[in-house]
Amino acid sequence: MASNGEKKGPSAITIRTARKGDLDQLAALLVRLKRLNAEFDPLLNVRDDADAQAKKILSANLDDPSFVILAAEGSGGPAGTVVGIVRASVRERNFYMPIQEGVILDIYLMPAFRRHGSGTYLLAETTRHLKAKGAEIVTAEFPSQNDIAVKFYGRHGFRAVTSHHAREV
Amino acid sequence: MAGAAGRKGTITHRTSVRASRPARARVHSGEEETARLSRLAVDLSRHYAGKLEVVPQVPIRGLSDFSYLYTPGVAQVSREIAKDPDLSFELTGRWNTIGIVTDGSRVLGLGNIGPRAALPVMEGKALLFKYLGGVNAYPLPIQVNSGEELVETVRHLEPAVGGINLEDIASPKCFEVLETLQKSLTIPVWHDDQLGTAAATVAGLLNALELTGRTVKDARMVILGAGAANVATARLIRALKADMGALTVLDHKGILHSNREDMDEMMLHNRWKYDLALSTNEAGRKGGLDVALEGADVLIAASTPDPNTVKPEWVESMAPHPVVFALANPVPEIWPQVAHKAGAAIVATGRSDFPNQLNNSLVFPPVFRGILDARAKGMPDEVVLVAAKELAKGASLRGLTPDHIVPTMEEEAVFPKMAAAVAVKAEELGLARVKRTRAEYEEHAVQMMARPRRLAEVLMKSGLIAPVKVDPRKERG
Repeated sequence: MASNGEKKGPSAITIRTARKGDLDQLAALLVRLKRLNAEFDPLLNVRDDADAQAKKILSANLDDPSFVILAAEGSGGPAGTVVGIVRASVRERNFYMPIQEGVILDIYLMPAFRRHGSGTYLLAETTRHLKAKGAEIVTAEFPSQNDIAVKFYGRHGFRAVTSHHAREV
Repeated sequence: MAGAAGRKGTITHRTSVRASRPARARVHSGEEETARLSRLAVDLSRHYAGKLEVVPQVPIRGLSDFSYLYTPGVAQVSREIAKDPDLSFELTGRWNTIGIVTDGSRVLGLGNIGPRAALPVMEGKALLFKYLGGVNAYPLPIQVNSGEELVETVRHLEPAVGGINLEDIASPKCFEVLETLQKSLTIPVWHDDQLGTAAATVAGLLNALELTGRTVKDARMVILGAGAANVATARLIRALKADMGALTVLDHKGILHSNREDMDEMMLHNRWKYDLALSTNEAGRKGGLDVALEGADVLIAASTPDPNTVKPEWVESMAPHPVVFALANPVPEIWPQVAHKAGAAIVATGRSDFPNQLNNSLVFPPVFRGILDARAKGMPDEVVLVAAKELAKGASLRGLTPDHIVPTMEEEAVFPKMAAAVAVKAEELGLARVKRTRAEYEEHAVQMMARPRRLAEVLMKSGLIAPVKVDPRKERG
């Protein structure tokens, strides 16, 4: 895998539906994302058993038809090497319309594959898969302090709709 | 800096440590010498209570002269400048005035000692600016709580000065501060710990490569340490059109590569290092310096002052006739004689008592001389590179050899040429507020650099600067 991020174009990654055989790599990427989240808020500090949790949850999600789990591979890299993950699901909104909501729970790409349109491509593919499962709106969850995510989604037409506030008790 | 101050034979340890002494003796002697100089510095500071004073550069025959030096006459000068702000570079001393700004967050080897404790260091630096470059530099340690406050404060200072020298600011804050100020001010901004050291390093690198039959494009280089100086060195190496994929950079955790666990942390807190991790090490090497050095042509170390940081067997594993820069101060990462014994063809350090001292004092005085003489609006990396190349060229005036890859502080003919090259480059880039020939810039630099020494001589001869009560040459204790 080339590490020179500067030379990659929009086709730096290919995206496919994740398979059971990807589980270990997907779990590692998911934990990387959770550790990144921890940088934004101490209330997002990662549990010691995060690796096991990631495997357990992803394993269940891969069998759940309401979930979209995507794997990104580096173009030209060794086949089967997963460099990005999307974890999303479609759920029903009880009181609001449109009713079917596709929620992007986790989205992560290895640093060497970021920029150059890879994130946009990943988001577009995720949206396509969620729509295919009936989603009428797409939402994304991420730490409030993650300005990079705020800007990324903002560039793609997303706006803040609800807030999720927390305090220790 | 010791080399600089040593010109007049006043405060120097140059002659006290011989390059041929064994390492153990050298360290011991170095410690004694440091202790002696520390006592001397405190004694002198107590005696003189400050290193600088404002001296007029216009005739004052009596108080009546102030009717035009000051009010009412001066009002017309102000009116002219109000109409055309750039006239402040012609009608006042702004053209030759800089601020030495620090927040005291990383002073010498002392760490975060705060702005007040940084003042004696900034005074010394201001004196060097004057003595070596003819620049009127004001020490400005400031009390701020963040990089943003630092930037904001410097912005407010812009009307008073023709340039800013940032000094002793912690990394990675220093990168953001320099980048933001360079973009937002219309005067040159320089961070000496980054650019001064990087330019001297690149000058040495260019000549070392030439002497060993290599080029920037084909050499496999390793950079040890990802602090202020080395991040800037990597940036200049990139500007030289080197193959960044062939470069390997290490921080205290090992080789930078794009899969490292701390990449996201770097992205958020040190994007300069993050960019290096992404753009270097195409081979995907992982591990420590031993892995990085295998087959490498060049090592540029600016990391831990410990002579065991770079092991001789790792130098042996490098390509034949490698180049080793061990720049940590006061103790290099490997002693030069050990590196040579392990096969290094060329060794440079940050010390004046070994050959090839890569010292920022070779750079900042002529760079500021030139950039101020051009009344420049900025200090892009192209200017820094020109200074580095001119310094490299200067070494060949006395003959390029493995023990002479950069000029010493005594090779003074180089510095006005560097100043002129910098000024001409600023003109070429459309940054200069004046237009002069290279010869004019050089001649002006010669005069400006000679003036402070004459001034010091006159002031000392006349007794206006009182004789030194504590003789710095006298061994004590």
